[in-house]
Amino acid sequence: MKITARQRPRLALYCMEGRFDAHEAPVVRETLDRALVDGRHLLALDMSAVTFIDSTALAELVRLMKRARDVGGELILFDVSDPVRVILELTRLDEVLSIGSTAELEDLARG
Amino acid sequence: MTRQHAGSGRVSDSPGLTRYGRWAGVPLDDVPVISVIIPTYNEQWRIIPTIGAVALEISSRGEPWELIVSDDGSTDDTRQLVRGLGLANLRLIESDNTGKGGAVRRGVLAARGRYVLFVDADQSTPIEQFDRLLTHITEQGADVVVGSRAAEGATESSRSRVRRALSAGLRAITRRGFGITVSDTQCGFKLFTREAAGGLFAMQRLNGFSFDLELLFLATHLGLKVVEEPVEWIDAPGSKVDPVRVALRFAADLARVRWWAARGAYATASPADRPPLQRGAAPAVGGHPGRLVDQEVSP
Repeated sequence: MKITARQRPRLALYCMEGRFDAHEAPVVRETLDRALVDGRHLLALDMSAVTFIDSTALAELVRLMKRARDVGGELILFDVSDPVRVILELTRLDEVLSIGSTAELEDLARG
Repeated sequence: MTRQHAGSGRVSDSPGLTRYGRWAGVPLDDVPVISVIIPTYNEQWRIIPTIGAVALEISSRGEPWELIVSDDGSTDDTRQLVRGLGLANLRLIESDNTGKGGAVRRGVLAARGRYVLFVDADQSTPIEQFDRLLTHITEQGADVVVGSRAAEGATESSRSRVRRALSAGLRAITRRGFGITVSDTQCGFKLFTREAAGGLFAMQRLNGFSFDLELLFLATHLGLKVVEEPVEWIDAPGSKVDPVRVALRFAADLARVRWWAARGAYATASPADRPPLQRGAAPAVGGHPGRLVDQEVSP
Protein backbone atom coordinates (compact mmCIF):
# COMPACT_ATOMS: atom_id res chain seq x y z
CA MET A 1 0.00 0.00 0.00
CA LYS A 2 1.18 3.47 -0.79
CA ILE A 3 0.86 6.19 1.86
CA THR A 4 1.33 9.80 0.82
CA ALA A 5 1.52 12.48 3.47
CA ARG A 6 0.02 15.88 2.69
CA GLN A 7 0.50 18.32 5.53
CA ARG A 8 -2.14 20.93 6.09
CA PRO A 9 -2.06 23.74 8.63
CA ARG A 10 -4.44 22.15 11.08
CA LEU A 11 -4.23 18.47 10.33
CA ALA A 12 -2.02 15.65 9.13
CA LEU A 13 -3.53 14.20 5.95
CA TYR A 14 -2.49 10.81 4.64
CA CYS A 15 -3.68 9.42 1.33
CA MET A 16 -3.80 5.62 1.38
CA GLU A 17 -3.75 3.64 -1.84
CA GLY A 18 -4.11 -0.11 -2.29
CA ARG A 19 -4.69 -2.98 0.10
CA PHE A 20 -4.57 -2.09 3.80
CA ASP A 21 -3.92 -5.32 5.66
CA ALA A 22 -1.77 -6.90 8.36
CA HIS A 23 1.36 -6.40 6.23
CA GLU A 24 0.76 -2.66 5.98
CA ALA A 25 -0.54 -1.99 9.49
CA PRO A 26 2.92 -1.60 11.11
CA VAL A 27 3.92 1.16 8.68
CA VAL A 28 0.64 2.98 9.24
CA ARG A 29 1.09 2.64 13.00
CA GLU A 30 4.62 4.02 12.90
CA THR A 31 3.69 6.92 10.61
CA LEU A 32 0.63 8.08 12.49
CA ASP A 33 2.08 7.49 15.95
CA ARG A 34 4.95 9.76 14.95
CA ALA A 35 2.49 12.44 13.85
CA LEU A 36 0.78 12.29 17.25
CA VAL A 37 4.10 12.49 19.08
CA ASP A 38 5.02 15.50 16.89
CA GLY A 39 1.90 17.27 18.10
CA ARG A 40 -0.28 16.73 15.03
CA HIS A 41 -3.34 15.46 16.80
CA LEU A 42 -5.87 15.79 14.01
CA LEU A 43 -5.27 12.81 11.72
CA ALA A 44 -7.13 12.57 8.42
CA LEU A 45 -6.96 9.45 6.23
CA ASP A 46 -8.11 9.71 2.62
CA MET A 47 -9.50 6.22 2.01
CA SER A 48 -10.82 6.75 -1.52
CA ALA A 49 -8.19 4.50 -3.10
CA VAL A 50 -8.12 1.69 -0.53
CA THR A 51 -9.18 -1.53 -2.25
CA PHE A 52 -9.49 -3.82 0.78
CA ILE A 53 -9.11 -3.57 4.53
CA ASP A 54 -8.67 -6.53 6.84
CA SER A 55 -9.32 -7.01 10.54
CA THR A 56 -5.77 -6.19 11.61
CA ALA A 57 -5.94 -2.87 9.77
CA LEU A 58 -9.35 -2.13 11.29
CA ALA A 59 -7.98 -2.82 14.75
CA GLU A 60 -5.11 -0.47 14.02
CA LEU A 61 -7.52 2.30 13.05
CA VAL A 62 -9.45 1.86 16.29
CA ARG A 63 -6.20 1.97 18.28
CA LEU A 64 -5.10 5.15 16.50
CA MET A 65 -8.49 6.74 17.07
CA LYS A 66 -8.25 6.05 20.79
CA ARG A 67 -4.69 7.34 20.94
CA ALA A 68 -5.62 10.52 19.11
CA ARG A 69 -8.58 11.12 21.41
CA ASP A 70 -6.39 10.54 24.47
CA VAL A 71 -4.43 13.66 23.49
CA GLY A 72 -7.49 15.70 22.61
CA GLY A 73 -7.36 14.97 18.89
CA GLU A 74 -9.24 12.78 16.44
CA LEU A 75 -8.76 10.27 13.60
CA ILE A 76 -11.11 10.84 10.68
CA LEU A 77 -11.56 8.68 7.59
CA PHE A 78 -12.47 10.64 4.46
CA ASP A 79 -14.01 9.61 1.16
CA VAL A 80 -14.16 5.99 2.14
CA SER A 81 -14.09 3.69 -0.89
CA ASP A 82 -16.98 1.29 -1.50
CA PRO A 83 -15.09 -1.84 -0.36
CA VAL A 84 -14.04 -0.13 2.87
CA ARG A 85 -17.52 1.26 3.41
CA VAL A 86 -19.11 -2.18 3.10
CA ILE A 87 -16.55 -3.72 5.45
CA LEU A 88 -16.95 -0.93 8.02
CA GLU A 89 -20.68 -1.46 7.96
CA LEU A 90 -20.52 -5.24 8.28
CA THR A 91 -18.12 -4.95 11.22
CA ARG A 92 -20.23 -2.10 12.68
CA LEU A 93 -17.13 0.05 12.89
CA ASP A 94 -19.00 2.72 10.94
CA GLU A 95 -20.64 3.43 14.31
CA VAL A 96 -17.28 3.75 16.05
CA LEU A 97 -14.89 5.47 13.65
CA SER A 98 -15.33 9.06 12.48
CA ILE A 99 -16.12 9.16 8.77
CA GLY A 100 -16.40 12.27 6.62
CA SER A 101 -16.44 13.66 3.09
CA THR A 102 -13.99 15.80 1.11
CA ALA A 103 -16.07 18.91 1.86
CA GLU A 104 -15.85 18.22 5.56
CA LEU A 105 -12.11 17.65 5.25
CA GLU A 106 -11.66 21.04 3.60
CA ASP A 107 -13.72 22.72 6.31
CA LEU A 108 -11.61 21.06 8.96
CA ALA A 109 -8.35 22.05 7.25
CA ARG A 110 -9.47 25.67 7.06
CA GLY A 111 -10.61 25.68 10.65
CA MET B 1 -32.98 -4.42 15.01
CA THR B 2 -32.56 -4.76 11.23
CA ARG B 3 -29.82 -2.53 9.91
CA GLN B 4 -30.02 -0.84 6.58
CA HIS B 5 -27.12 -1.92 4.41
CA ALA B 6 -24.81 0.37 2.46
CA GLY B 7 -26.28 1.02 -0.95
CA SER B 8 -29.81 0.94 0.42
CA GLY B 9 -30.85 4.30 -0.89
CA ARG B 10 -28.45 7.19 -0.68
CA VAL B 11 -28.55 9.20 -3.90
CA SER B 12 -24.77 9.44 -3.90
CA ASP B 13 -24.24 5.66 -3.82
CA SER B 14 -22.31 4.21 -6.74
CA PRO B 15 -24.07 1.67 -9.00
CA GLY B 16 -21.95 -1.11 -7.48
CA LEU B 17 -22.90 -0.11 -3.96
CA THR B 18 -26.57 0.11 -4.93
CA ARG B 19 -26.43 -3.42 -6.37
CA TYR B 20 -24.73 -4.64 -3.22
CA GLY B 21 -27.43 -3.03 -1.10
CA ARG B 22 -30.13 -4.80 -3.10
CA TRP B 23 -28.32 -8.17 -2.84
CA ALA B 24 -27.76 -7.67 0.88
CA GLY B 25 -31.35 -6.76 1.65
CA VAL B 26 -33.59 -8.58 -0.82
CA PRO B 27 -33.72 -12.39 -1.25
CA LEU B 28 -33.23 -13.58 -4.82
CA ASP B 29 -36.27 -14.51 -6.79
CA ASP B 30 -34.12 -15.83 -9.66
CA VAL B 31 -31.88 -18.85 -9.81
CA PRO B 32 -28.38 -17.52 -9.19
CA VAL B 33 -25.93 -17.29 -12.07
CA ILE B 34 -22.93 -17.39 -9.73
CA SER B 35 -22.39 -19.26 -6.47
CA VAL B 36 -19.42 -18.35 -4.30
CA ILE B 37 -18.40 -20.76 -1.57
CA ILE B 38 -16.16 -19.77 1.32
CA PRO B 39 -15.06 -22.66 3.56
CA THR B 40 -14.37 -21.62 7.14
CA TYR B 41 -12.75 -23.07 10.21
CA ASN B 42 -12.15 -20.67 13.09
CA GLU B 43 -12.07 -17.58 10.88
CA GLN B 44 -13.71 -15.07 13.21
CA TRP B 45 -10.83 -12.67 12.69
CA ARG B 46 -10.82 -12.75 8.88
CA ILE B 47 -14.23 -13.73 7.58
CA ILE B 48 -16.17 -10.45 7.76
CA PRO B 49 -13.84 -8.37 5.56
CA THR B 50 -13.67 -11.24 3.07
CA ILE B 51 -17.46 -11.48 2.92
CA GLY B 52 -17.65 -7.72 2.42
CA ALA B 53 -15.10 -7.72 -0.39
CA VAL B 54 -16.69 -10.69 -2.19
CA ALA B 55 -20.22 -9.40 -1.76
CA LEU B 56 -19.47 -5.97 -3.19
CA GLU B 57 -17.43 -7.25 -6.12
CA ILE B 58 -19.80 -9.97 -7.26
CA SER B 59 -22.92 -7.84 -6.65
CA SER B 60 -21.41 -5.13 -8.85
CA ARG B 61 -21.73 -7.46 -11.84
CA GLY B 62 -25.50 -7.05 -11.70
CA GLU B 63 -26.31 -10.78 -11.98
CA PRO B 64 -28.21 -12.82 -9.40
CA TRP B 65 -25.74 -14.67 -7.18
CA GLU B 66 -25.48 -16.42 -3.86
CA LEU B 67 -22.85 -16.66 -1.18
CA ILE B 68 -22.43 -19.86 0.80
CA VAL B 69 -20.25 -19.97 3.90
CA SER B 70 -19.54 -23.62 4.61
CA ASP B 71 -18.37 -23.84 8.18
CA ASP B 72 -16.33 -26.87 9.16
CA GLY B 73 -17.07 -27.06 12.86
CA SER B 74 -15.58 -23.77 14.02
CA THR B 75 -15.08 -23.52 17.77
CA ASP B 76 -14.72 -19.73 17.76
CA ASP B 77 -17.38 -17.12 16.91
CA THR B 78 -17.28 -17.60 13.13
CA ARG B 79 -20.81 -18.98 12.88
CA GLN B 80 -22.36 -16.38 15.15
CA LEU B 81 -20.65 -13.57 13.28
CA VAL B 82 -21.79 -14.84 9.89
CA ARG B 83 -25.35 -15.39 11.11
CA GLY B 84 -25.41 -11.95 12.65
CA LEU B 85 -24.70 -10.21 9.33
CA GLY B 86 -28.28 -10.63 8.20
CA LEU B 87 -27.37 -10.74 4.50
CA ALA B 88 -30.36 -11.85 2.45
CA ASN B 89 -28.46 -14.06 0.01
CA LEU B 90 -25.86 -15.55 2.28
CA ARG B 91 -26.39 -19.14 3.38
CA LEU B 92 -24.47 -20.66 6.26
CA ILE B 93 -23.93 -24.42 6.09
CA GLU B 94 -22.72 -25.95 9.34
CA SER B 95 -21.08 -29.26 10.00
CA ASP B 96 -18.79 -31.01 12.41
CA ASN B 97 -15.14 -30.73 11.54
CA THR B 98 -14.19 -32.90 8.56
CA GLY B 99 -11.44 -30.90 6.84
CA LYS B 100 -11.36 -28.18 4.19
CA GLY B 101 -12.20 -30.58 1.39
CA GLY B 102 -15.36 -31.64 3.17
CA ALA B 103 -16.40 -28.04 3.78
CA VAL B 104 -15.87 -27.07 0.16
CA ARG B 105 -17.73 -30.14 -1.06
CA ARG B 106 -20.75 -29.44 1.13
CA GLY B 107 -20.86 -25.87 -0.09
CA VAL B 108 -20.45 -26.77 -3.74
CA LEU B 109 -23.09 -29.50 -3.66
CA ALA B 110 -25.52 -27.00 -2.11
CA ALA B 111 -24.78 -24.40 -4.79
CA ARG B 112 -27.37 -23.55 -7.42
CA GLY B 113 -25.38 -21.26 -9.70
CA ARG B 114 -24.31 -21.86 -13.28
CA TYR B 115 -20.76 -20.99 -12.26
CA VAL B 116 -19.38 -22.15 -8.94
CA LEU B 117 -16.38 -20.45 -7.36
CA PHE B 118 -14.70 -21.34 -4.13
CA VAL B 119 -12.37 -18.89 -2.41
CA ASP B 120 -10.35 -18.94 0.79
CA ALA B 121 -11.58 -17.05 3.82
CA ASP B 122 -8.55 -14.79 4.02
CA GLN B 123 -8.91 -12.99 0.64
CA SER B 124 -5.38 -14.01 -0.20
CA THR B 125 -6.49 -14.08 -3.83
CA PRO B 126 -8.33 -10.78 -4.30
CA ILE B 127 -11.85 -11.39 -5.59
CA GLU B 128 -11.44 -8.71 -8.25
CA GLN B 129 -9.73 -11.39 -10.35
CA PHE B 130 -12.91 -13.45 -10.73
CA ASP B 131 -13.77 -12.04 -14.15
CA ARG B 132 -10.53 -13.31 -15.64
CA LEU B 133 -11.33 -16.85 -14.55
CA LEU B 134 -14.89 -16.66 -15.83
CA THR B 135 -13.71 -15.58 -19.28
CA HIS B 136 -12.04 -18.96 -19.74
CA ILE B 137 -15.42 -20.64 -19.31
CA THR B 138 -17.63 -18.25 -21.22
CA GLU B 139 -15.28 -17.64 -24.14
CA GLN B 140 -13.07 -20.71 -24.30
CA GLY B 141 -15.29 -23.51 -23.08
CA ALA B 142 -13.26 -24.43 -20.02
CA ASP B 143 -14.86 -26.68 -17.43
CA VAL B 144 -12.52 -25.88 -14.57
CA VAL B 145 -10.40 -22.75 -14.12
CA VAL B 146 -7.65 -22.74 -11.52
CA GLY B 147 -6.24 -19.55 -10.10
CA SER B 148 -2.50 -20.08 -10.22
CA ARG B 149 0.36 -18.59 -8.27
CA ALA B 150 2.85 -20.35 -10.50
CA ALA B 151 1.63 -19.66 -14.03
CA GLU B 152 3.43 -17.01 -16.01
CA GLY B 153 2.24 -13.58 -14.95
CA ALA B 154 1.26 -14.57 -11.42
CA THR B 155 2.52 -12.61 -8.43
CA GLU B 156 3.04 -13.80 -4.89
CA SER B 157 3.60 -11.53 -1.94
CA SER B 158 5.02 -12.39 1.44
CA ARG B 159 5.30 -16.13 0.85
CA SER B 160 8.07 -17.85 2.78
CA ARG B 161 10.93 -19.60 1.05
CA VAL B 162 10.01 -22.90 2.67
CA ARG B 163 6.50 -22.73 1.26
CA ARG B 164 7.76 -21.83 -2.18
CA ALA B 165 10.23 -24.71 -2.17
CA LEU B 166 7.61 -27.21 -1.06
CA SER B 167 5.19 -25.94 -3.68
CA ALA B 168 7.79 -26.41 -6.38
CA GLY B 169 8.41 -29.94 -5.17
CA LEU B 170 4.72 -30.74 -5.17
CA ARG B 171 4.34 -29.41 -8.68
CA ALA B 172 7.06 -31.74 -9.92
CA ILE B 173 5.41 -34.75 -8.29
CA THR B 174 1.90 -34.01 -9.53
CA ARG B 175 3.07 -33.42 -13.06
CA ARG B 176 5.19 -36.55 -13.33
CA GLY B 177 3.13 -38.90 -11.23
CA PHE B 178 -0.40 -37.79 -12.00
CA GLY B 179 -0.35 -36.14 -15.36
CA ILE B 180 -1.73 -32.91 -13.87
CA THR B 181 -0.37 -30.10 -15.99
CA VAL B 182 -1.69 -27.27 -13.84
CA SER B 183 1.25 -25.54 -12.17
CA ASP B 184 -0.52 -24.70 -8.93
CA THR B 185 -3.00 -27.26 -7.68
CA GLN B 186 -3.48 -25.73 -4.23
CA CYS B 187 -4.47 -22.08 -4.73
CA GLY B 188 -7.82 -21.54 -3.03
CA PHE B 189 -9.42 -19.79 -5.98
CA LYS B 190 -11.09 -22.18 -8.38
CA LEU B 191 -14.07 -21.82 -10.72
CA PHE B 192 -16.20 -24.62 -12.15
CA THR B 193 -19.16 -24.96 -14.42
CA ARG B 194 -22.13 -26.31 -12.53
CA GLU B 195 -21.91 -29.61 -14.37
CA ALA B 196 -18.20 -30.07 -13.70
CA ALA B 197 -18.62 -29.10 -10.05
CA GLY B 198 -21.53 -31.44 -9.52
CA GLY B 199 -19.74 -34.39 -11.06
CA LEU B 200 -16.29 -33.87 -9.58
CA PHE B 201 -17.37 -33.06 -6.04
CA ALA B 202 -19.73 -36.03 -6.02
CA MET B 203 -16.73 -38.25 -6.74
CA GLN B 204 -14.36 -36.54 -4.31
CA ARG B 205 -13.21 -38.74 -1.41
CA LEU B 206 -10.58 -36.63 0.35
CA ASN B 207 -11.79 -34.27 3.07
CA GLY B 208 -8.43 -32.72 3.87
CA PHE B 209 -6.47 -30.06 2.05
CA SER B 210 -5.29 -32.46 -0.67
CA PHE B 211 -8.80 -32.40 -2.11
CA ASP B 212 -7.75 -29.86 -4.77
CA LEU B 213 -5.25 -32.34 -6.09
CA GLU B 214 -7.83 -35.10 -6.17
CA LEU B 215 -10.33 -32.92 -8.04
CA LEU B 216 -7.75 -31.94 -10.64
CA PHE B 217 -6.67 -35.55 -11.03
CA LEU B 218 -10.28 -36.55 -11.63
CA ALA B 219 -10.91 -33.66 -13.99
CA THR B 220 -7.78 -34.44 -16.00
CA HIS B 221 -8.51 -38.11 -16.31
CA LEU B 222 -12.14 -37.53 -17.22
CA GLY B 223 -11.11 -35.30 -20.09
CA LEU B 224 -12.48 -32.04 -18.72
CA LYS B 225 -10.92 -28.85 -19.99
CA VAL B 226 -8.85 -27.50 -17.12
CA VAL B 227 -7.06 -24.19 -17.56
CA GLU B 228 -5.13 -21.99 -15.20
CA GLU B 229 -5.13 -18.24 -14.91
CA PRO B 230 -2.22 -16.41 -13.25
CA VAL B 231 -3.39 -14.52 -10.20
CA GLU B 232 -2.06 -12.07 -7.69
CA TRP B 233 -1.79 -13.80 -4.32
CA ILE B 234 -0.95 -12.27 -0.98
CA ASP B 235 0.13 -14.51 1.89
CA ALA B 236 -2.27 -13.56 4.67
CA PRO B 237 -0.73 -13.70 8.16
CA GLY B 238 -2.27 -16.33 10.37
CA SER B 239 -2.10 -18.96 7.68
CA LYS B 240 -2.91 -22.36 9.07
CA VAL B 241 -0.52 -24.12 6.70
CA ASP B 242 2.46 -25.86 8.29
CA PRO B 243 4.61 -26.51 5.21
CA VAL B 244 6.34 -29.64 6.43
CA ARG B 245 3.19 -31.26 7.75
CA VAL B 246 1.46 -30.39 4.50
CA ALA B 247 4.18 -32.03 2.44
CA LEU B 248 3.96 -35.27 4.39
CA ARG B 249 0.19 -35.29 4.25
CA PHE B 250 0.23 -34.69 0.52
CA ALA B 251 2.52 -37.61 -0.07
CA ALA B 252 0.11 -39.89 1.78
CA ASP B 253 -2.94 -38.49 0.00
CA LEU B 254 -1.31 -38.79 -3.40
CA ALA B 255 -0.76 -42.46 -2.74
CA ARG B 256 -4.39 -42.83 -1.67
CA VAL B 257 -5.72 -41.19 -4.84
CA ARG B 258 -3.63 -43.48 -7.03
CA TRP B 259 -4.78 -46.49 -5.05
CA TRP B 260 -8.44 -45.54 -5.33
CA ALA B 261 -8.09 -44.91 -9.04
CA ALA B 262 -6.40 -48.26 -9.54
CA ARG B 263 -9.23 -50.03 -7.68
CA GLY B 264 -11.91 -48.21 -9.69
CA ALA B 265 -13.19 -46.54 -6.53
CA TYR B 266 -14.07 -43.36 -8.45
CA ALA B 267 -16.64 -45.10 -10.65
CA THR B 268 -19.76 -42.97 -10.40
CA ALA B 269 -23.04 -44.47 -9.33
CA SER B 270 -25.24 -43.10 -12.07
CA PRO B 271 -24.93 -41.32 -15.39
CA ALA B 272 -26.52 -38.24 -13.86
CA ASP B 273 -23.53 -37.83 -11.55
CA ARG B 274 -20.91 -38.00 -14.27
CA PRO B 275 -19.36 -34.79 -15.49
CA PRO B 276 -19.72 -34.42 -19.25
CA LEU B 277 -16.73 -35.38 -21.32
CA GLN B 278 -15.26 -32.89 -23.68
CA ARG B 279 -16.63 -33.02 -27.19
CA GLY B 280 -14.77 -35.63 -29.20
CA ALA B 281 -13.05 -37.27 -26.22
CA ALA B 282 -12.84 -41.05 -26.30
CA PRO B 283 -14.44 -42.93 -23.44
CA ALA B 284 -12.09 -44.20 -20.74
CA VAL B 285 -10.76 -47.70 -20.82
CA GLY B 286 -13.52 -50.23 -20.44
CA GLY B 287 -15.96 -48.11 -22.41
CA HIS B 288 -17.54 -46.64 -19.33
CA PRO B 289 -17.76 -42.85 -19.62
CA GLY B 290 -17.02 -41.40 -16.25
CA ARG B 291 -15.36 -44.49 -14.83
CA LEU B 292 -11.88 -43.60 -13.77
CA VAL B 293 -9.17 -46.17 -14.08
CA ASP B 294 -5.48 -45.76 -13.51
CA GLN B 295 -4.07 -45.29 -16.95
CA GLU B 296 -1.11 -43.59 -18.51
CA VAL B 297 -1.78 -40.02 -19.47
CA SER B 298 0.25 -38.78 -22.39
CA PRO B 299 2.18 -35.59 -21.65
